[in-house]
Amino acid sequence: MTAGTGVAARAEIVANVWKLLTEVGAEVAQGDVLAVLETMKMELPVHAPATGTVTSVPVAEGQIVQEGDVIAVVG
Amino acid sequence: MTSSVDLAHQSAEQTNGPAHRDALEQRRQDRFTRVEPRGARTFTGRERAQMLLDDGTFVEISPLRTAGTSGSGVVIGWGLVDGRPVVVASHDAAVASGAIGAVFAETVQRAQRLAIDQGYPIVYINDSGGARIHDGVHALHGCGGIFTNNVIASATIPQISLILGPCAGAAAYSPALTDWTIMVKGQGQMFLTGPDIVKAATGEDATADEIGGSALHTSKSGVAHLEVETELEALEAARDLLSFLPSHVGAPMPVREAVPADPAAVARLPHVVPEKSSIIFDVNDVLDGVLDAGERFEISPTYAPSVVTVLGRIDGRPVAIVANQPKARGGILDSKASVKISRFVAWAARFGLPVITLVDVPGFLPGTVEEGRGVITHGATMLKAYVEATSPVLTVVLRKAYGGAYIAMGARSLGADFTWAWSGSEIAVMGPGGAVALLHRRALKEAEDPVALRDELAADYREQVARPYLAAEAGILDDVIHAEETRDRIVQALRLLEPAVRA
Repeated sequence: MTAGTGVAARAEIVANVWKLLTEVGAEVAQGDVLAVLETMKMELPVHAPATGTVTSVPVAEGQIVQEGDVIAVVG
Repeated sequence: MTSSVDLAHQSAEQTNGPAHRDALEQRRQDRFTRVEPRGARTFTGRERAQMLLDDGTFVEISPLRTAGTSGSGVVIGWGLVDGRPVVVASHDAAVASGAIGAVFAETVQRAQRLAIDQGYPIVYINDSGGARIHDGVHALHGCGGIFTNNVIASATIPQISLILGPCAGAAAYSPALTDWTIMVKGQGQMFLTGPDIVKAATGEDATADEIGGSALHTSKSGVAHLEVETELEALEAARDLLSFLPSHVGAPMPVREAVPADPAAVARLPHVVPEKSSIIFDVNDVLDGVLDAGERFEISPTYAPSVVTVLGRIDGRPVAIVANQPKARGGILDSKASVKISRFVAWAARFGLPVITLVDVPGFLPGTVEEGRGVITHGATMLKAYVEATSPVLTVVLRKAYGGAYIAMGARSLGADFTWAWSGSEIAVMGPGGAVALLHRRALKEAEDPVALRDELAADYREQVARPYLAAEAGILDDVIHAEETRDRIVQALRLLEPAVRA
């Protein structure tokens, strides 16, 4: 599996990446929480869109993401 | 010599004899010959109209109307839905791809006038390539007439549009003037122009579904309000929707026998909302503990999902529920959510449906993107919808209600008839974190441990300023209630206010 291929988990709203709970190479099941975003004083979990291996995590904790930005890719 | 009996017999034959019967039969046969639906379509225009209605109740109007050598291109008539009359106009894609010519347009307007004049809902089953080019300005004139009737009808009768094929131009505008639009995935499209003309006009290469498919219109553009998998589901959805509505503004509500809320859901109600205001939950769990168990109809489930708009029943009476959905985008309000709510509230109130608002809102999403979308205008439209609502308006604050979003979600100041808040809720100009940072800027700057001081001040603010008792003491809330009391309060209020609905 090449890095970055698969199904992307995206930010549903402009937010701060509060906690990253996964890394490249991690095995995840669909629905697992990959990260927690923080916006408007709300904690918004980002769920794995599929079961598989995390092939890419293009964001870092503390980074501001826009709606639609990729948080992680599961291949 | 001929007897008088023979004469009478002869005369009957002349007016109503076999030759005339044969002529009518021949015409009916010509007009009613079934043309196998093309592409992904399952049923013909006439079959769709029949299947929308209660079995065997469809009565066709002017089935012999012609446009040149073929039929009008649209099947109109009326029948019953759950025993109540409903008018239907169903495009016949077998006639010139359902293109709207002058005769087609006249025929649709005939159905519209009947529905408007008699005060019955009308369902449009759309499957049309748009204006019929051969008819020139007569086609355009007819389309404009349909639009005008759409607008006139919207003041008094329910109008539902189903999109069961590619609908271009005028065939897309008419649905946009109706109350709710339901699309069949992969089969129905709505666009101003299709792929070929888009390509010729701007060079953009896109498929019909990319330009006007159900995913685009029910999630992104908001042009349509429900995506279903099959034609049958679309017809069923229209029937379901009608089951919550009076036949026309001011007509009796379709009240059914009251069904209690699911007892398990009621028992869970005090535990649904997390104590910590930053943790999300599914507001549907609250709806389960409030609404009559059973049927429920969600409108626009995938558009602006941070708010939900649901038709349901309480005490057997149809109600319109507006609720923040913390599970999606934190339950925030933004431009799209405001558009979704204002349209729903204005529509529900017009038909006399009580508007029940369940509030847990972190605020309006701020920033350049939202201001650029005109969130002020859209938010203001939402205020207007609540202020203008003449049906009962009941509001329950479940957890937090801050700032402008508190007002916008059906606050007492906008005319809510009754307002309550759950005991753990917070109502304030802004959340504790933001308020403390503003009010105690200097103290926090000079503190040895600013985080500890901020938490302490925030906790103090939450208890002293934001608790709902202040609002209840000021008469801005009617009461502070336990979660499990919500349904009973609403039932009592609706029984009191219901005469106003029927007035």
